[in-house]
Amino acid sequence: MSEAAKFQGGNKDMGARMDSEKTKDIRMTNIIAAKAISDVVRTSLGPRGMDKMIQDSKGEVLITNDGATILKQMEVVHPTAKMLVEISKAQDIEAGDGTTSVVVMAGSFLKASQELLAKGIHPSAISDGFQVALTKALETIDGMAQPVDLNNRDQLIQNAITSLSSKVVSQHSDLLAPMAVDAVLRIIDKEHDTNVDLRDIHVSKKLGGTVDDSELIDGLCFVDKKASHFAGGPSKIKDAKIGLIQFVLSAPKTDLENNVVVHDYTAMDRILKEERKYILDLVKRISATGCNVILMQKSILRDALNDLALHFLAKKNIMVIKDIDRDQIDFISKSLRAIPVAHIDHFTTEKLGYAKLVEEVATGGDRKIVKVTGCPNEGKTISILLRGSNQLVLDEAERSLHDALCVVRALVKRRALVPGGAAVEMEIARNLQEYSRTIYGTDAYCVRAYGEALELIPYTLAENAGLDPINFVTELRNRHIQGEKFCGINARRNTITNMLDENVVQPALVSISALTLSTECVRMILKIDDIVLSR
Amino acid sequence: MVGNVLPNVFDENASADAGELARMQSFVGAIAVADLVKTTLGPKGMDKILQSIGDPTNKRAITVTNDGATILKSIHVDNPAAKILIDISNTQDAEVGDGTTTVAVLAGEFLREAEKLIQQKIHPQIIIQGWRLARDVALKTLREAAMDNSADEEAFKRDLKNIAMTTLSSKLLLHDREHFATLAVNAILRLKGSGNLDYIKIIKKTGGTLGDSFLADGFILEKHISTGCPRIKENAKVLIANTPMDHDKIKIFGSKVRVDSIMKVADIEEAEKQKMKKKIDKILAHKPDVFINRQLIYNYPEQLLAEKGVMVIEHADFDGTERLAAVLGADILSTFDNPEVAKLGTCARIEEIMIGEDKVIKFSGTQAGEACSIVLRGSGSHILDEAERSLHDVICVLIAAVKNHRILYGGGNSEIRMSLAVDELSKSVKGKQALAIQSYAHALKQLPTIIADNAGYDSAELVQNLRSEIYNGKISSGLNMFKGIVDDMQTLGVTECLRVKEQALLSASEAAELILRVDEIIRCAPRRREGQ
Repeated sequence: MSEAAKFQGGNKDMGARMDSEKTKDIRMTNIIAAKAISDVVRTSLGPRGMDKMIQDSKGEVLITNDGATILKQMEVVHPTAKMLVEISKAQDIEAGDGTTSVVVMAGSFLKASQELLAKGIHPSAISDGFQVALTKALETIDGMAQPVDLNNRDQLIQNAITSLSSKVVSQHSDLLAPMAVDAVLRIIDKEHDTNVDLRDIHVSKKLGGTVDDSELIDGLCFVDKKASHFAGGPSKIKDAKIGLIQFVLSAPKTDLENNVVVHDYTAMDRILKEERKYILDLVKRISATGCNVILMQKSILRDALNDLALHFLAKKNIMVIKDIDRDQIDFISKSLRAIPVAHIDHFTTEKLGYAKLVEEVATGGDRKIVKVTGCPNEGKTISILLRGSNQLVLDEAERSLHDALCVVRALVKRRALVPGGAAVEMEIARNLQEYSRTIYGTDAYCVRAYGEALELIPYTLAENAGLDPINFVTELRNRHIQGEKFCGINARRNTITNMLDENVVQPALVSISALTLSTECVRMILKIDDIVLSR
Repeated sequence: MVGNVLPNVFDENASADAGELARMQSFVGAIAVADLVKTTLGPKGMDKILQSIGDPTNKRAITVTNDGATILKSIHVDNPAAKILIDISNTQDAEVGDGTTTVAVLAGEFLREAEKLIQQKIHPQIIIQGWRLARDVALKTLREAAMDNSADEEAFKRDLKNIAMTTLSSKLLLHDREHFATLAVNAILRLKGSGNLDYIKIIKKTGGTLGDSFLADGFILEKHISTGCPRIKENAKVLIANTPMDHDKIKIFGSKVRVDSIMKVADIEEAEKQKMKKKIDKILAHKPDVFINRQLIYNYPEQLLAEKGVMVIEHADFDGTERLAAVLGADILSTFDNPEVAKLGTCARIEEIMIGEDKVIKFSGTQAGEACSIVLRGSGSHILDEAERSLHDVICVLIAAVKNHRILYGGGNSEIRMSLAVDELSKSVKGKQALAIQSYAHALKQLPTIIADNAGYDSAELVQNLRSEIYNGKISSGLNMFKGIVDDMQTLGVTECLRVKEQALLSASEAAELILRVDEIIRCAPRRREGQ
């Protein structure tokens, strides 16, 4: 079969061998599948992009316009479609934002390569050409980048607002953006850090109230961890001395299986008394250190604390917060400067952490939250409490906040800004077209197609904002050719403006990573010529 | 079968194909497998998607690769000859790590030639005789063509880098090959010829691009330092253990304690604690600065250790502990009774660093100076997996090159030289074998042809030109796959490792010979399961 195909297409491309029919088919289906994915998320690009409602296999509903989340939920089966989902995920990890753009770009590049393939250009040559274009595009971004100063809080906030402007919670961007910026700035060393460990920012969610009620807590916040107020335990403690304990306050239990054998009813009484005494002893030793708040790690082997212990602790005016996960211990110990204690013998005063105020706050719902503020953490950790009227809004707010945090992190990683509103894409497109005229061979074709493909971003942006895409894109192109390279589509005002003046900016890392990732992926897809079923 | 009943020699479900039929089956199977991987050959070869069909729990995981061994390993075949090809590809992978596609394709080409000869009614044994002569000559040519630069260290280093570049050019890492070649060569040079791959750890982290990958001095462990421990240790003594640190249970089935009061339970609990404390004391008697355990460490022992200022790392998996032990020069301890004989590892600096979103622990300045980690970054798991396979191949080839020293020109140079020598031989040999020798030469010539084909160049023209260049004395000519012309391999620095080529030639010839000798295929009856 392949022999026959060889002869048919034999002399089209300078006598080179054409691909067999099967290979062509596979490449086409790959491209079509990947494009389908990119078309799904295309409408959610930009500040006026639409949201998607996704119903998962369990019937749960999710509303989002975060590209990475949409794709994650879609459970695609086609191999190349899966690769697009992957790059969206990678973009999320690397830059946190632009997860939709990266997929849209990849789709657009694939469409361009489809046309190039139809011209009879060898896929390897297209792949090489795209690499040339990418290098040039990255140069363009570098040329447009504006340095950023991490001490300039307003500028950072502006950045986060741009990133949030396309989200469901965009009306709250005034609140969430400063929150994200403050949180990140608090935990980093502005001069030296080149990366941010987002795990030092703990985000908790609590249903009830509105997004406006969300707050930044300089300390800790426990949601749904019932503080004990059985038997009248305290719910507010000032100048708290906090013990972080990993042992249990309940009847003893051995690692070996144990049975307590009871022979007569007097023994029962004695056993009850002994248990009481044992627990009372533990509580006394705790209170002797001056500790007045206990944070207790969840225990899987037995009850972390029983009612009896709670009762005694309440009597001693000690507040208890229980069921803390083991992986949270690290964060807590960092924030409070408390050292986790695994045995009562080691429970001493110096191991206690300190906080100005530990307070149980009613939040309208049936459950309360506990806030710990005024920790001596020297700006190493911070917590954010998100509120929302329903679970969907809350989840989306969390994702948006994550995006905003990532945007700020991207700026810490690479301290440069580029204009938003597709100004970068248009400038690259213009630059590449100019460049394509100076080179020769297949590269020239590929570079030009690459540039044209990037125009899909301003096109989609205009389309999603309900503007006339063709007029806007052509006008934008014109302005760029005239040298106004910071011009972009202003979706809020429905005009073309200088994005830097409008303060619509995004981290350079977002654009750089979106371009590199999508190009890398497209080149990989182009190089595939067969799908083999395997074990 | 003139109506007479054949006696049942085989079991009823068994089948046998003999003579022409059997031979045809072998040819078809082997050639089909060779054709499957043929398009992945060379710098412009294409990739394949492997989609697993079984195992729905895995969500039908996909792999994108152009590594011959990986492709062949994962396909289903039900043809004995095809299986032989897959086997030799695996052997090549184990032996030298690269050239896995080449070997399968070469064997396929030999068989394609054999098929033609058999149609001309030449007996397989005669073909084999001819091939053997041809193979000896080819091998001799190959060895004569090889160059040895190991005396000059600078030149040798350059050779290694060139080999790495050439190997990489047929892989995914093509565009960052300069970067990765340097990476791989540096990693290999650290090994100082020991060839122990344990010292090179490859870590994959999504995010960033391939160009962001880097070689880290020392060893990286993807674990966390436990809470409350110091985060940085310098000039540390490291104790690596494999011991239960949750609780020491008596390992008697159904052991149980019976008591008659709560206090006694408390006493036993206390005794258990004491037992653990004693164990910790024993461990502390070794005076470690860092304690790494393969198993979980519970809070209590962890805290005891942390209090003494010991850095604790728990749950370092099997792979992690074994490698760490090798790298740090430590023994893995399970009992702690003899602190004076136990060997502790040493390390100049242990610290937490961030890669992408994750924190990892880095051990630098280790006792075995060879150790290093290669951190791969890339846009997705598929790319990372493929990058890892490519890098693994390169490292294997480089290890072979360090051992063997001898190098060859790439770009089809060696194949054409062998082909020419074998052709020359055919002119001097009497009898039908000469035809077989000619066919051998032709098969060798097919390799550069396929490589040129894959790149979309005019292969017939190119290969013929290359042949004449070499025939006319320009012995360093080869195909320049990036421009599509015949070029000087010496100036381009396209070199390959002799060991890889040698092994590929030998295995492919042997496999082809083996398949050619077959004249009957007997399929045994499938073994019946009980109760059927």
